[in-house]
This record gives sequence, C-alpha cells and structure tokens, in this order.
Amino acid sequence: MRMADFDLSWKTKLVFVVTGVIIGLLVTTQFRSSIPTSSYLTDELEVQKQLIKSFMDDQALLKSKLVALRQKIDDQQQKLSASTKNTNLEILDGLKKELGLNQEKGPGVEINLNDGAAASKMKGEEVSQFLVNAADLRDVVNLLRTTKPEAIAINGQRVIASSPITSVGNTIMVNNFHLLPPFKITAIGDVDVMSQRLKDKVSLPDINKRVKENRISFSFKELDSLIAPVYNGDFVFKYIAEAAHQ
Amino acid sequence: MRKRELSILLTAILVGVLIIMQGKSFTSLDQVTNREARTDIFREIQILKNTNDNLNDEVKDLEDKLGKMSGQEAGLQGIASDISKYKLASGQLPVSGPGISFIINGDVSAIWLTDSVNELFAAGAEAVSLNNIRITDQTSGFDTIPNGQIMLNSVILKSPYKIEAIGDKNTLADALSQPQGIIQRLKESVAAVTPELQQKDLIKMDKVI
Repeated sequence: MRMADFDLSWKTKLVFVVTGVIIGLLVTTQFRSSIPTSSYLTDELEVQKQLIKSFMDDQALLKSKLVALRQKIDDQQQKLSASTKNTNLEILDGLKKELGLNQEKGPGVEINLNDGAAASKMKGEEVSQFLVNAADLRDVVNLLRTTKPEAIAINGQRVIASSPITSVGNTIMVNNFHLLPPFKITAIGDVDVMSQRLKDKVSLPDINKRVKENRISFSFKELDSLIAPVYNGDFVFKYIAEAAHQ
Repeated sequence: MRKRELSILLTAILVGVLIIMQGKSFTSLDQVTNREARTDIFREIQILKNTNDNLNDEVKDLEDKLGKMSGQEAGLQGIASDISKYKLASGQLPVSGPGISFIINGDVSAIWLTDSVNELFAAGAEAVSLNNIRITDQTSGFDTIPNGQIMLNSVILKSPYKIEAIGDKNTLADALSQPQGIIQRLKESVAAVTPELQQKDLIKMDKVI
C-alpha cells in the first residue's frame, strides 16, 4: 500500500514537473513573441514614412506642373493650328481624349465605397474584411469598363487603361498616388447600363457579400453632370517602339 | 486522489489555453509583419521613386518643347511628335520591345486576369496584351458571362491565357514572381493551374483594330 502511494506520488510529481516546464517555456515564448517595440525599428519605420511623404509631396508638385505644362502646350498648339490651318490638331485632340488627357464632363454614376465602422475594433486578418481593398476598386473599375465609359476617376485621380490600382501595406495607390477612404468613383457614360451592372448582385460578389454583412459600405447614385479630371500621370516610353507593320 | 486529478486537469486546461494563446500570438505577429513588411515599404519607395523620375523626365521634355514652340516649324513638329507618342500609347501603332510572357494554363476567374494586368502596369509595363488583345483605353473590362467564360472586347477568352508585357523585363518578372506575388497567390489559390513566366528580348504587339 505504501509502495503504491509512493509510485503514484512520484508519477504525479513527474507530471507536474513536465507540465511546469512546458508552462514555463510557453510563458517565456509568449513574452518574447510580443510585437517588437525597439526604438531602432520604430525609428527606421518613421524615417521610411518621412521618405514616402517627401516622395508624395514631390509627386503632387510634379503632377500639377505636368498638367499646367500640357495645358500651356495645348494653348500654343491651338493658336498655331488656327494660323497654319494644320489639320493634325484634330487627330491629336482625338488621341488626347482617348488617353484621358482632356477633362470630361457628362452624365454618369458616382459610387461611394467606404471602410466598415467596425474596422478600427478589428484585429489581425479580420480587419481587411472591413476595409476597402485595392482589389475592390479594381473590381469596380473593371465592371465599369465593361460598359465602355467615357471616363473613370477615383478621388480625383483619372483612371486610364495603364493606371495601376495597388495596395502597399494599408495604403491604396491609384496612379501611384496615395488615396484615403472614403473612395468616390466617378464614371461618365451610359447611366442606364452602368446602373444595371452595379445593381446586379452577381457582378461584384465579394463587395456585395461584405456589404450584406455590414463590413463595408457601397452605394451609388446617378447624376446628370459629373466631372472627371485630366490624367496627371506621365507617358514616358523607354522600352516600346513602333514595330514594322506586318 | 480526487484533488490530485482535479489539479492535473486544471493544469492541462491551463496548458491548452496557453498553447492556443501562443498560437494566436504567432498568427497576430505574422499579420503585423506582413502588413508592415519591410519589403512592402521598400517596394512602395521604389514605385514612388520611379514614378517621380518619370514625371520629372516628362516635365523636362514638356518645358523643352514649350520653349521651342515660338517657331512655327518647331511647333508643328511638336504636334507631329505628340501624335506619334500618343499613337503608341493608345495602341494605334504596332509596337515592339523587350518584356515578359506570362502564360496561365488552366481555368481561372476574371479577377486573376484583372490583377495580372494591373500588376504588370504597376511594375512599369508600357504595353500589355492578353491573348493578342492589346489592353488600351478602348478595351472593355473582363466580363464573366453566365456560363462562366471570360469575355474581353467581345472575344471569349480560353486557356491558356497568354499575357505579354513590354517594359523592363527584369522588373516585370520580379513583380510577378516576388514572394506573395501573383504567381505564388495563383498557385496557392487555384488548383491545377500552371503559370509560366519567360523573359523575352523582343515582344511584338499588333495595333488595335
């Protein structure tokens, strides 16, 4: 009887020791796995953020310069064309319109997409479900493009075929320019066709699912007069050249 | 005996709780790292730098052009050169140059094509085509028709989807094949899809009809 008691006690002790060691390891790992708060990393991130801000400021300045210069050149070309009766200007105007280098005005739809109110309370992976992602904007723009619109813009950034809509970390960039929610997507074109596509729940499955679950907000309205600004990005070609006709 | 059993049970529960907490803390940490990844910030800085460099180049070109516009001949030449440049951009001329060929073998939904094209333009592609359809401002969006097929410019697209892009071939290839890039995400998300990426010295694209 005493021997059995001793065995049980020894086994129990062993279980407790092993368990204690495991708990100790877990507690230690738990403390060690906390989000790094070292000042070096924080400082480095701060420097990177400052650098990004400085690039963004430069970009805004360069873009406004670019638009102003294009306008000045356009004015000069109009004058020149009037005096020389040069018909090439008509071709140039057509190309500029196609490439988003003219401001467009007309009837269309205005779409509002915004993060969910609960986004700030969310943690980890869940939070992205409550935020408007770059992919959401791409899906909306792609849907609008199926209706052959005359112009699309997001928060004042004209979107053309080559406009990238990306996300880097928590930031959304359109034409490599930072944009913040709420996102207002302006599309000029056939209002009925655009409305029909936007009302179709099958068209934007992921957005509609999250709207239904109150995770993000999405709405649109038809308007008689909308303005899409001029594309303010560059057209610098370093790699493409005209190929011989086949 | 009952006390001992109870304490072992409680300890086991505590260990279980700690294991779960630990697992969660690792997951959270991963997410924080991913969202604030250094590579992401570096990539953002690189994108912004390239954008500003290109904007600077164009501003200089335009200033130069504006300065020369006082003369009639130079002004008319300026119009002609703008027309040539914008024709390249709009797809009204056949174009060629170095770049990449990205082939997706297998059935994918339209979002993968939208995202692939977007990724290439984001990496600085100067021209992109999909199954020989040049993506320009005259191109429609990717439309999924009721039977699940994808339509672009009224053409039903079929696998293999061949996306070609002209630009810096190394940058374009890196953008697609980077960790968590479109190739990795495609492989992880869509079964039986085999993406193929090739850098090419010469890619030709026809003009938009």
